[in-house]
Amino acid sequence: MSDTRGPLQDARVVDLTDERGIYGAKLLADLGADVVRPEPSEGDALRRRGPHLEDTPDGPTSLWHAFFASSRRFLSVDLDSEAGNAQLDALIDRAHVVLCCTGAFGAEQERLDAALSRRPELVVVEVSSFGKEGPWRDYLAPHIVAGALGGAVAPTGDADTPPLNAFGELHFMMSGVYVAIAALGALHFARFRKIGQRVHVPVHECIASGLEQVLMWYWYHDRLPMANGPVLERRGGLHWTNAFQTMRGRDGCVFVTPAPNRDAQLAWLIEEDAAGDLWDPKYQDPANREAFTLAVMQRLREWVATRDVEPLFKEGQARGLAYGQVVPVEGVADNPHLAAREWWTDYLPTVRGPGAPYAFSDTPWKIGPYGDVGADTEAVLSEIGWTESQ
Amino acid sequence: MRPLEDVKILDFTHVLAGPFGTRVLADMGADVVKIMSAVRETARTQQDSPYYLMWNRNKRSLALDMRREESRELARRLADEADVVMDNFSPGVLDRWNVGYEIVSETNPGVIYVQMSGMGATGPWSDFVTYAPTVHGLGGLTHLTGVPGRGDIGIGYSYNDHQAGLHGAVAVLAALEGRRSTGRGQRVDLSQFEVGVNFAGLALLDWFGNGRSASPVTNREPYDNNAPHGCYPCAGAASDALVDERWVAIACMSDDQWRRFRDVLGDPEWARDPALATVQGRSEAADMLDQRIAEWTRRLTAEVVMERCQAAGVPAGVVQTGLDLCERDPQLKLSGFLAEIEEAHPITGRTYADRLPIYFERTSCDEYRPAPVVGQHNAEVLSEWLGMSEEEVRRGEEAGYLR
Repeated sequence: MSDTRGPLQDARVVDLTDERGIYGAKLLADLGADVVRPEPSEGDALRRRGPHLEDTPDGPTSLWHAFFASSRRFLSVDLDSEAGNAQLDALIDRAHVVLCCTGAFGAEQERLDAALSRRPELVVVEVSSFGKEGPWRDYLAPHIVAGALGGAVAPTGDADTPPLNAFGELHFMMSGVYVAIAALGALHFARFRKIGQRVHVPVHECIASGLEQVLMWYWYHDRLPMANGPVLERRGGLHWTNAFQTMRGRDGCVFVTPAPNRDAQLAWLIEEDAAGDLWDPKYQDPANREAFTLAVMQRLREWVATRDVEPLFKEGQARGLAYGQVVPVEGVADNPHLAAREWWTDYLPTVRGPGAPYAFSDTPWKIGPYGDVGADTEAVLSEIGWTESQ
Repeated sequence: MRPLEDVKILDFTHVLAGPFGTRVLADMGADVVKIMSAVRETARTQQDSPYYLMWNRNKRSLALDMRREESRELARRLADEADVVMDNFSPGVLDRWNVGYEIVSETNPGVIYVQMSGMGATGPWSDFVTYAPTVHGLGGLTHLTGVPGRGDIGIGYSYNDHQAGLHGAVAVLAALEGRRSTGRGQRVDLSQFEVGVNFAGLALLDWFGNGRSASPVTNREPYDNNAPHGCYPCAGAASDALVDERWVAIACMSDDQWRRFRDVLGDPEWARDPALATVQGRSEAADMLDQRIAEWTRRLTAEVVMERCQAAGVPAGVVQTGLDLCERDPQLKLSGFLAEIEEAHPITGRTYADRLPIYFERTSCDEYRPAPVVGQHNAEVLSEWLGMSEEEVRRGEEAGYLR
């Protein structure tokens, strides 16, 4: 039997996050939690982030905000006034979870301390850039700086480029998903034990936790046959295993690997008369395993350079190989698999965007209508019992 | 007590994405039983590989030879006891083993069943094979992360594998909360590709809304044009090798930060140009700014640039390598984020952990056990989950289905 509301339909959340945590609030909101995002009367500063929807009668609308602040209700509050502070406190007093980032609108420490002492079952998730103490505690870390210090920039790029930052907000989407996990983990405990708590999420550690080979290389390089030191240099699209690479084809780029079916890849190269000396018996010797990998990849680079990438990708997949064509945004938008899964969803009446990162069989994921500054103020104030005379 | 100690998870995941998701849940106290088999060469040869050790700590291992009927029956009984079943095999594999959702949910209607396949359970590409770079390519992330004219760079590590795992953990926790409300479990179809496309969300909204196709911007901002904004070469390299290069990231996110940065630079003549006082002017002069700033940073170490900038209120940070994170980073040292696991691994001895980056004030998650070897916990898991005796387990091991 299907429910019409998401799995978090009974969770009430106050969203006092900035870029570092807002993706976590989005995940909860899109899963059906009632997430109220307070903002000053002039509007959330994040409503000014680009890209903007340009061709609108009321002026540009921030697509950044529409994406990251999806499915929220917006409460306009004046935190310079006693009434505004009381409204925010009253909102927090009926929440199960508060998500906040240090220094963000409404996220004053005293307010949160007081709320926790009034309601011990409350969960407060606090996001900081580097932690609550230490020499970098107050360092400023927008996305590229957070990524650099977190270790995510150094492995990206090539020998002839600088280290590269990932596009968009990827590092803060990493901290954001940890925010959602922290909130739901603490909420799970609070539901059954009636004990809330404060939970701290440092962005710096979140980024460092998601670097695949980087920490492994430092700790275990003496056990990795392809490693010659504790750090692997940035190396373009060549994976640390040496067995995966984004290669240049005749008309574009394609990710190519003989994995997970090396025999199928070899058979294909033989069919194409492109196997060269890969049949040399020396490669049967386990001691030459690494040399064989390098030889296969060299053959593949030469062969791929002569091929158009889309048919190559499709044939690779038909042969059970994890090939992937490098496509621009419009190619992603036209993806036939996503279309068949009816995946896209509307963020604004005229703007589609990504659908659910997970499909629940019984409780739907959905994007709620997007609101203007303080769009839900009246309804939210009424729900917290705030009257005009107050 | 950790927050998920009442949650039992049957873990059929492998490689990175699935194991990373169950690792986070295990760190938070869930009883994660990883199904492995010594009859599979990959499990046997990789149970002490660094890659496996990284993603499987805090779990218990039960060995089942899923080719055998006895093993499938045990898996079925375990699934009946589980709150959560997670797998990242291709769609249909667990169905063939008689532990698919349709079968398990008949006898365990509260089960939360998360299938983390590459492309999702349905659709024309549902049988495609994927690794993170496959998803990065098809999802636009490789195209977007790079320099103009190059489509072959992309993200230098498997970002989407980590994220797919973390989204799997979100799905589990959300479904547990949903079960509390509805009393029912459910199936979650998690497509790692769809998780990945989600990260190109801003570029996709811009495409659908404005018809603009985003391009790689090196280290500039794709939309808000703040400048300077980049990575700059520094002094202090231990050698001429690429791996020893030192870089610093600097980002002026406002006019005020630019004015502060100008002071850090020593207020040079070129920086006083009134055109540079605005974001628009600096954005138009970004190439010149990058060149001038690089001339300055080349004379200093990355640490000095960072400290001077941050002291003046300008965002800057060393481009840290693994060596920096593990040996020099004062924040990670202070928090003990990177540490050797106290308990020795049965084969390799020393193993290490980057700890859960979530600090619960009242349910601290500070227990770390090494990744298990195949079948290490056969007796205790089968006793605790199914009430089997040691003798029964011994017989199963001898007969070969518990291996």
